[in-house]
Amino acid sequence: MLAIEAHDLEKTFRSGCLRRRETRALRGVSLSIPRGAIFGVLGPNGAGKTTLLSILATLLLPDRGRATILGHDLRQEPGAIRRRLNMASGNASFLWSLRVEEILAFYGRLYGLSGRALQSRVDELVAVCELTTHRRVQYNELSTGLKQRLALAKSLVNRPELLFLDEPTLGLDPAVSVRVRAQIAALRHDRGTTIVLTTHYMREAEELCDEIAFIKGGRILALGTADDLKRRIRVGDVIALRVDAAGAATLAAHPGVLRSVTEDGWVELTVDSAEKRLGELLQRLHESGAVVRDVQIREPQLEDVFVELAR
Amino acid sequence: MREEAIRVWAFALRNLLMASRNIFFLFELTFWPMVGVLSIGLMTRFLRLSPDEASFVLIGTMALSTVQVCQLDVSYAVLYDVWSKSMKHQFLAPIAVRHLTVGSWLVGMARGLVVFTLLAALAWWAFGFNPLATGPGRLALFLLGCFLTAWIVGVLVCALVMLFGTRAEASAWAAVNLVLVLAGIYYPISVLPGPVAGIAQAIPLTYFLDMFRSHFGFASEFATPLAWGFGLSAAYIGFSHWALGAAINRTRRTGLLLRMSE
Ligand SMILES: Nc1ncnc2c1ncn2[C@@H]1O[C@H](COP(=O)(O)OP(=O)(O)O)[C@@H](O)[C@H]1O
Ligand SMILES: [Mg+2]
Repeated sequence: MLAIEAHDLEKTFRSGCLRRRETRALRGVSLSIPRGAIFGVLGPNGAGKTTLLSILATLLLPDRGRATILGHDLRQEPGAIRRRLNMASGNASFLWSLRVEEILAFYGRLYGLSGRALQSRVDELVAVCELTTHRRVQYNELSTGLKQRLALAKSLVNRPELLFLDEPTLGLDPAVSVRVRAQIAALRHDRGTTIVLTTHYMREAEELCDEIAFIKGGRILALGTADDLKRRIRVGDVIALRVDAAGAATLAAHPGVLRSVTEDGWVELTVDSAEKRLGELLQRLHESGAVVRDVQIREPQLEDVFVELAR
Repeated sequence: MREEAIRVWAFALRNLLMASRNIFFLFELTFWPMVGVLSIGLMTRFLRLSPDEASFVLIGTMALSTVQVCQLDVSYAVLYDVWSKSMKHQFLAPIAVRHLTVGSWLVGMARGLVVFTLLAALAWWAFGFNPLATGPGRLALFLLGCFLTAWIVGVLVCALVMLFGTRAEASAWAAVNLVLVLAGIYYPISVLPGPVAGIAQAIPLTYFLDMFRSHFGFASEFATPLAWGFGLSAAYIGFSHWALGAAINRTRRTGLLLRMSE
């Protein structure tokens, strides 16, 4: 069962004098996301991540292409889709002089909740998102972290089957980020919520996402699990050596070495294959009389894939 | 049906809460309307207008404040979200234009009624003008006419803001003044130059002012003012809601809905 099925979505924004300036934000994006999955959308700034999420959430109409969201056609039945999805973004904002509980209640009512059902939903969200001590605080008096948690709480007000999270941990301190990530994982685990999220933190994507799409310039450049991506986008392996600078100088020219970075007494060599090159490199160092004090072989990180693709 | 009512109530309650928290809005509710009635009332003394003429002018200034206060509440339904950059959240929810406009209009009518009562008391105490002299039925019809006009203008302002963003914000305060100048705020519309009088006849409030004033000794300029007033109102309510719906759809196409939220 698919939560999202999108074909060839295109979007061009027109702005400026006489709307002549064109920004092609999406140039044909196709996706299938199964129900209950956590799907990550990664890419550099301006890649079209927010545009993609907004189209799938019915906030923006695509110029071309079609999509089926939770079994409903995106253009024909936006109302039916809206009841069942929600969205939170890292830069969300709400009415300045409403209190936390009033904001949650307002959006709850827009989804048809009232009376005791509304009250208990608000209580539950306030508790889950750790806003209990702030529930009577006005929005403009909240800190960034609290605003973010409120945005997340708001996005859960209709118990969405499909949840879009646009940079949910943007600007949060590490301790809070960890809790937010745990909460996202729990949502899928406990309720089977399908989650589509964008993030700039690779660890977040690696930890949470079943599948990742890497987009740039409005196109999907790569799609797969984090391991897939690391395997397929051969960024090479990293061999790190603790060796004096004189010895290091000769290594960069060795066959199979793609990149060499010297930092804090470590020489990091990106090579085509660690298995094949490690022996050769040590041999070469030995011959030149350099002293090797430590050797590490590092797994390629998703971050390396990101840097490679974003180039 | 129940969900319809809940959604309408959501917007009504939001406007009430915002109004109660912002002192600026209280100012709007009392200060300018009272300044208006006092200055116009004193002018009628200086010009030695007859009591009937004075009531003619005072009805105009009271209508202006009542329509304006009610209309602002309707416009706030969209302006609050523009100012707080939270527009996308409400249009992500399964709501329709009517929930937003009816909810805020209900609060607008309540606030309009408060302002009118305040002004009526002031006009009666300071200038001996009693708007209740014609009986509660006619007064109620007149106020309903004011509120319907306010609703239409308010929804059209919302549509302008959705089309042009904050650049159209000023229309929230300007539009009502234009409407009242055309509808004959201090004069019968027969004094307006030909083509402008034609525009005046297309404004519902013109007929409600005419109807109300006819009970203060000024012969009606129209045969059936109430039929015209309500008929035109119904047509404009339909049109303004269509316009706002279309404007919102346009923001979903151009991306303005997102830009107003960041
Ligand atoms: N509402 C909008 N109006 C005009 N241009 C936009 C709008 N939203 C995004 N863009 C442009 O489209 C491109 C993609 O933006 P976006 O989807 O926000 O990227 P990302 O979220 O990946 O950083 C950018 O060049 C951005 O300037
Ligand atoms: Mg973005």
